[in-house]
Amino acid sequence: MPPLPLWSQLKQLLPRGRVLDSPAQLAGYAADALGYKSYLPDAVVIPADAEELIGFMKGARRLALPVILRGAGTSLSGGPVAAQGGVIVHTSGLKRIREINVEGFWCEVECGVALNDLDAALKPHGVFYPPDPSSGPVCTLGGNVASNAGGAHCFRYGVTSNYVLGVEVVLLDGNVQRFGGPAGGRGPWREDWKRFMIGSEGTLGAFTRFWLRLLPLPEKVWTLRATYPDLRSIETAIHALVAHSSYPAAIEMLDPRGVAMVETSQMAVGLPKGSFMLLLEIDGPAALVDARVGPVAELLRHAGSSDVVLSDQDAIRQKLWKARKAAGGLLGQLSPDYVVQDAVIPKSALADVLQLVYDEADAAGIRAVNVFHAGDGNLHPNFLFDSRVPGELEKVELISERLMRRVIEVGGTLSGEHGIGNDKSAYMPLVFGPDSMRLQWAVPAAFNPSHQLNPLKVFQNRRFAT
Amino acid sequence: MKTLAPMLVERLFTPFLDAVDGTLCLPASATAVDILAQAGAHRLRFPLVLDPNASLREHTGAATYAPTSCRFGPFCDNILGINWRLPGGRVARVGERVVKTTTGYDWLRFLLHSGRRFGEPVDYVLRLRPDCGFTMEARFEAELPALRSCVRRLLHGGWMHWWDAVDFITEGSTAFVRVSVHCPPNEAQIFEERLTQVATETGARLVLLRGVPPAFDGLPDVVLKTTPDRAIGLAGTLSSDADRCLAMCYNGVIHLYLSEGDDRAERAHALMQPHIGELHALGGDWHSRWLPATPPSLTESKWLETLERTIHAS
Repeated sequence: MPPLPLWSQLKQLLPRGRVLDSPAQLAGYAADALGYKSYLPDAVVIPADAEELIGFMKGARRLALPVILRGAGTSLSGGPVAAQGGVIVHTSGLKRIREINVEGFWCEVECGVALNDLDAALKPHGVFYPPDPSSGPVCTLGGNVASNAGGAHCFRYGVTSNYVLGVEVVLLDGNVQRFGGPAGGRGPWREDWKRFMIGSEGTLGAFTRFWLRLLPLPEKVWTLRATYPDLRSIETAIHALVAHSSYPAAIEMLDPRGVAMVETSQMAVGLPKGSFMLLLEIDGPAALVDARVGPVAELLRHAGSSDVVLSDQDAIRQKLWKARKAAGGLLGQLSPDYVVQDAVIPKSALADVLQLVYDEADAAGIRAVNVFHAGDGNLHPNFLFDSRVPGELEKVELISERLMRRVIEVGGTLSGEHGIGNDKSAYMPLVFGPDSMRLQWAVPAAFNPSHQLNPLKVFQNRRFAT
Repeated sequence: MKTLAPMLVERLFTPFLDAVDGTLCLPASATAVDILAQAGAHRLRFPLVLDPNASLREHTGAATYAPTSCRFGPFCDNILGINWRLPGGRVARVGERVVKTTTGYDWLRFLLHSGRRFGEPVDYVLRLRPDCGFTMEARFEAELPALRSCVRRLLHGGWMHWWDAVDFITEGSTAFVRVSVHCPPNEAQIFEERLTQVATETGARLVLLRGVPPAFDGLPDVVLKTTPDRAIGLAGTLSSDADRCLAMCYNGVIHLYLSEGDDRAERAHALMQPHIGELHALGGDWHSRWLPATPPSLTESKWLETLERTIHAS
């Protein structure tokens, strides 16, 4: 008897869920937020709930097709795309917040819960989950854990891996394993396996649910915005802030090209032409932050800003954030395509590496805008280009390679919060020597040896051999 | 995109102090005294110290958290990179010297407390924090319900982020709550006012020790991890068989200190035996530096063997 068509095979695995296979439906899953690289999957499945996802994973090996887990598709690394074809598993059906335990400072959520939905559910309890990628309104916790997402407030609060207490994952052998749990330890295991799962970019298993650590909401927030005439003076301010006893929660920077982009748009906020913008927040009990805000503002002025604006009023704070938040959206409007890099560097190399970005981009005639997490040294140079113009993508790739080589030379790393996906996988040999590379390959060897899960991601030669 | 040639040598960490980033690389045999000698001059500190004379390697072998984890997280969030000697003798770089990374699989956090199966640490890259210049210890003394109330007031609200440590401690029949504060001298009064307010609201007696050095509790004999809401109760149960018991109230970690003796391993095991099932059900764990690691299950053995086989493959 001939094998059943793919749609029928998939429908057997997901009697209650949905199976998409029309070209128009599949087109919506061809790319992530990076946009310029697209790959049409063979099919998309949307399990109705965790039980169906587990059922699908148990049958996945028989399909002999690549399997790609996908949340909201907001990844910026070419992660949840069907680079080798196959079936995309869209986890939007797994969106239950199962428990919020305020006394224990933890919550249990399914992988398809949107980040901001969790925030909204936690707020009435006086607690919050700190990682805050800018895609918060739509991105899912599954995607956040898979890419070890960060955000603007990670300077003090840390990234996703600092908050994952436990994960439940379906492995390719069909077994459901729980690593950790509300207590955040190893559970009955000898080793702490959840550490490999966090940031594994869908290459080891399918997440179903997580236990996440919570913190009390800060009582009061001050937002400060300052502009600087040159890179050296803003660098002085950043270096002073990261060592300051006020422990800012966020230290963000927008370069003059970013400022120009905002100021020539409808989102203009009146930033001086040619200036570097610094945005920071301090939070805590009112008695503490009210005592701290004056010295912090003075620090900003002392570093060379004559334009420090600050507020503890929500409406004004939102206005101070406007330029920073608008920048991401404007990038997409200004150019058909853009690549955003995610390197992290020692902050002493900030001016050096930014200058390299400008020099390389200018020489190639590629527009570059920098808007990034300065406190962490987490750069986001955005290279704007048009992939329809012959040679433009190649120019951007060459700039990116030179940038990554310099990042590694100064002691940095390829990605701080976006993940590697297939966008940065080519640069992995710059990071890992022969022994550390063997360590890296040992992990998929244990959990996904045939690379059926999310092939061609993280490492270029992770190809699924059917 | 073209494929880059593989690197032929490891990019090992070499000793450094980056005062701008607040990072320090030094040997795994270094102690808190060594760290202070380098970091102190730049007004930086490494807050997760249990025993000033114990090496970093001994710290990560004995514990995963320290009392200051209340504010700064566990050791694995404060150690950014390691030079790691593999069982065959080669040394690999694991992790980074920058504060954020999602480049590859997270071997750093996996190896840090994994024992000796995969080798041992040679050097650590530490994340340092600003030394604000003033340390204060507050001790709340009261009956258990009032102590619980103190802990609740200290942790459930915006002040929680600013305590270096909030610990429930039992010593013999005495129980108290210890709060560590590290701040600039000009903020000490603000912290004192809040601590006094908590004491007034709960009826606890408050003892303030201003300008004292940080408390060092020593390397624990037994460590267990539960949920924060269970920590005080479990510490109370276990305290009768330990000389000293310290519960880190936000992290849900308990450190037990046993009286000396050749039978410490047996006592540690007997003490924990009734609680293992509940701990595991919660995703918690326990270990003792006097006992070998729990044998892996069959499933886990397969994964471990695959890891070992791949690492050793030429």
